[in-house]
Amino acid sequence: MKFSKQWLQEWLATEITTEDLLTQLPMLGIEVDSTKHVAGDFTGVIVAEIVECEQHPNADRLRLCKVNNGTEIIAIVCGGKNARKGIKVALATVGAELPGGLKIKRGKIRGEESLGMLCSEVELGLAETSDGIIELPIDAPIGKDIRDYLQLNDLMIEVDLTPNRGDCLSIQGIAREIAAKNNIKLQAIKITEQPATIKDTFPVILEVKMACPSYSGRVIKNINPEAVSPLWLKEKLRRSGLRSISPIVDVTNYVLLELGQPLHAFDLAKLNKEIRVRGAKKGETIKLLNESIIELKENTQVIADANGPIAIAGVMGGLNSSCTAQTTSIFLESALFVPEIIAGKARQYGLHTDSSHRFERGVDPTLQTLAIERATELLLSIVGGEAGPVISVMDEEHLPKKSLIKLAEAKVNNILGVTLPKSTISELLQSLHMQVEEITGGWTVLPPSFRYDINIDVDLIEEIARFYGYNNIPLHHPHSPVGFLNEKETERKIKHWRQCLVARGYHESITYSFVDPKIQALLEPNSKALALANPISAELAVMRTSLWAGLLQTVLYNQNRQQNRVRLFETGKRFVQTEQGLLQEEMIAGVITDTDIPAQWAQASRKLDFFDLKGDLEALIDLSGNKDNFIFEAGQHCALHPGQSSRLIYNENEIGWLGALHPHIQQKLELNGPIFLFEIKQEALMQARLPVFQSLSKFPLIRRDLALIVKDTVSAVDVINVIKKIGNMLLVDFNIFDVYKGKGVPDEHKSIGVTLTLQDKERTLVDEEVNEFMNRVINALEQQLHASLRE
Amino acid sequence: MLRAFFYSDLYMQQLTILIQQAKEAITHCNDLAVLDNIRVQYLGKKGTLTELLQSIGKLDPVERPKAGQAINVAKQEISVLLDEKKVALDAIAIGEQLAKEKVDVTLPGRKQSKGSYHPVSLANARLEAFFHQCGFTTAYGPEVEDEYYNFAALNIPLHHPARASHDTFYFADGRLLRTHTSPVQIRVLQQQKPPVRIIAPGRVYRCDSDVTHTPMFNQVEGLVIDKESSFADLKGILHAMVEAFFEQTLAVRFRPSYFPFTEPSAEMDIQCVKCHGTGVDCRICKATGWLEVLGCGMVHPNVLKAVNVDPEEYQGYAFGLGVDRLAMLRYGIDDLRLMFENDVRFLEQF
Repeated sequence: MKFSKQWLQEWLATEITTEDLLTQLPMLGIEVDSTKHVAGDFTGVIVAEIVECEQHPNADRLRLCKVNNGTEIIAIVCGGKNARKGIKVALATVGAELPGGLKIKRGKIRGEESLGMLCSEVELGLAETSDGIIELPIDAPIGKDIRDYLQLNDLMIEVDLTPNRGDCLSIQGIAREIAAKNNIKLQAIKITEQPATIKDTFPVILEVKMACPSYSGRVIKNINPEAVSPLWLKEKLRRSGLRSISPIVDVTNYVLLELGQPLHAFDLAKLNKEIRVRGAKKGETIKLLNESIIELKENTQVIADANGPIAIAGVMGGLNSSCTAQTTSIFLESALFVPEIIAGKARQYGLHTDSSHRFERGVDPTLQTLAIERATELLLSIVGGEAGPVISVMDEEHLPKKSLIKLAEAKVNNILGVTLPKSTISELLQSLHMQVEEITGGWTVLPPSFRYDINIDVDLIEEIARFYGYNNIPLHHPHSPVGFLNEKETERKIKHWRQCLVARGYHESITYSFVDPKIQALLEPNSKALALANPISAELAVMRTSLWAGLLQTVLYNQNRQQNRVRLFETGKRFVQTEQGLLQEEMIAGVITDTDIPAQWAQASRKLDFFDLKGDLEALIDLSGNKDNFIFEAGQHCALHPGQSSRLIYNENEIGWLGALHPHIQQKLELNGPIFLFEIKQEALMQARLPVFQSLSKFPLIRRDLALIVKDTVSAVDVINVIKKIGNMLLVDFNIFDVYKGKGVPDEHKSIGVTLTLQDKERTLVDEEVNEFMNRVINALEQQLHASLRE
Repeated sequence: MLRAFFYSDLYMQQLTILIQQAKEAITHCNDLAVLDNIRVQYLGKKGTLTELLQSIGKLDPVERPKAGQAINVAKQEISVLLDEKKVALDAIAIGEQLAKEKVDVTLPGRKQSKGSYHPVSLANARLEAFFHQCGFTTAYGPEVEDEYYNFAALNIPLHHPARASHDTFYFADGRLLRTHTSPVQIRVLQQQKPPVRIIAPGRVYRCDSDVTHTPMFNQVEGLVIDKESSFADLKGILHAMVEAFFEQTLAVRFRPSYFPFTEPSAEMDIQCVKCHGTGVDCRICKATGWLEVLGCGMVHPNVLKAVNVDPEEYQGYAFGLGVDRLAMLRYGIDDLRLMFENDVRFLEQF
């Protein structure tokens, strides 16, 4: 909401400085978004009158004016189309300085002398556009400084109100807060009942009393359609961010801003028979003031006449019943629509109006007739006419009512953590228009009708804190109860994995959880990604089913910026739709590309391969101390190279994948490759083993190497499994030290070199038992894998 | 007799010459292998001195002991010279080897490239460390939430104007992406009876994207429910938290605000960490001297009722802070969007 400091000041009996005002508003919970001077920075502009006006002899678009500046008649050349004899104008005198630094000098324009300039609103920084020069009211005092005359030393203040403070959406509302804060008198405008001078009324029927428990209306006839809004009215509206439209619209807007009651004026001549507040009927449409045609939903309340809807209740009027330049009789509406029912209705039609904004937040149920009297008074003074009696239809039962709230003194102090004197509490509440009555241990409080946000004791406690000052409540340093955080030693957390990967040269990244459906489909064509109903863009439209989508895009982003060596990891959720419902699984994923190490003098870098990636993943797994529970198994994944992809199994469950990105996908994404990826469920990595010490053997180690020739189809794990199965307590370690194909090895075969390490805890092993063990291993390898020893 | 005498004389002469030769050879030797040869040449089994000793039988028996002693003395003398020379040559050889093995210690070491933590993780870790010290534990919740947890249970009924300001992402079935970490409050209180003291870090989502908003961002929620935690406690812990986070004394201020799930509600501003609250020419705080960092308040009784906690018996506070903003302030990052672009030149700085 925008308002002017001066207008607010009119409501306060004591002057408040702008500085105080701007400091206090945020501390009352009213955020100040911006402030702006209501006029540009200028001097030397006074009220003057054009006493003569004729065509400039040498220029079609210019006039020669004789202007009375209060002391003499001077010549001014003016380009304003509306310059004419008899109007009061804003004269920038010789020596005046206008916004932007323009200095007015005596000069000749096309051969004619000009002793100043007649200003437009734009030239004085009063408006963004203007049609001609300013026309001041005819009673404007000639010679008076325009800043004083128009009271331009004023500030436009825009505040952002939280949705609970509908009561502050008016000058009156803000003034109430400032008055209470400064303990100064609220100087409310006097609203006088405007007696009916005609008997005309228009029937009002309330069908939906729950939605509209109060509706006041009045007929005003014989208004002057030619009348224009006075300058003061236009100025107040302008300083509140509203454009002047016509006296009738201006007055309804003015009362809305002043009191907070939305009003609407119908053209009486266009109303048929009656006003009926009712629910919309199926298929009904309305053409709104903004010229859009809307098909009404049945959940919507409308104002209708015998022909159909003429307004959406509390939102916007219809075009067909609206006032125009020809309107001479109006029906003025001042109604109450209750928030619970009005809420969300405007939004479902994509509408948001000053009126809906207020009704959704709650309009004071005592305002309707006051507002109509206030508007009548203003209208009669501007457009003339005769007013009929106010018709008020009300349903007491559904009127919003405030109930008594019990407030315990102890609770105030417990919640706030400060002990306030009883008198302070009751005074603070009273200054906010609450009726406070002391009872044992506290008070009963009746909040004013306009405070929709105050219903229970803690609401009152907030008010006390707000006016006592949040910053006057002490800081109480946390005293933690002795509760120990027992971090489990056998639990691995994100921080451990992060540390591990960072140490291995990975950068942690955070990518969006919603990704491009095209990339998603490319990576996992078989999983159906959860789609957003209202994505922010087509590229961020589905929830990721794998962290790879975001990581690969990040690789691309970096490659496009000449960053070729990329090592990234991310932790976060993936969203997988299953028959059991949506799984939101915590994953950890990584991607690497380019070389194993950065270029350096002491060591040659080489292209990454699968085993670089696997090594990193094994390091993560090793953190658990449970590496034997993890199995890497060749498998096929749509996104991965069919010959370089592995499924990761933990306790017989698939927990992740690793491998080279499928070259086909790599090409489609325009990535430079090869690229290696892993993704694994965090859950599988969480459980760690508590180390249990094993005594060290004092006896010698015996190492034996085996060079085996096996078929290509035999994988390392097959060899390992055979050895492990034979392996007894003596086998303390084994290691694959070589894999070789080529000269000396038959086609479709490979040589695998394995070192077995044997040791006993109790004694030195003798050759015979070592040989016996080795023979058993070799026999098993021969029998089960058709392995042979390399000659 | 004469012959014998002659022979003895000759013998001793020969010995003197040999000693002289050996000494010279040793003095001029500057190679360990040559030195070894010299040892063999004179003292070896077939060495000249050894042979001379073996030929002692040709001497007059009377002369023999004297000659034997002379040879042994000579052997001893040469042996010492050889040892000394060996030590000297060893020292030279080691010196040469060491000189050869000298490296340029200013050359960089062999390495993997430097990895890095995301600034949001760094900030989260600092916050977690602080709150864990204060007895908080960390809780987590789902990101695809439903209307109940994200809104209704938090005292934001349908059509409440606060919902409009949340710019919620929805799914076709009515579920949504959580707009704040506050649903974790409800999930925790459903499972755990007070006293409760948790923080809940995580991703949150709003359908909003411009220079200062990304559709996904990070929050840390805090919740304390017990019988006595007050607004003054809330102020105290949050003030301590920002001072610990920024490692400096910082003024804070609390402004009344509105969140349907807290009452009273507040926003906390900290003194600008860039201009130290002066506001002079400061773009970070827009010359106000203050930075808005979090929203907080006393948990609304309706929230407690929604999880069957009696608001007459229990009370407490909650807060929600934007971690991205804190990280940006801490590390001087001037553009929120950088946080999620993951340019490695950005990432490697942390």
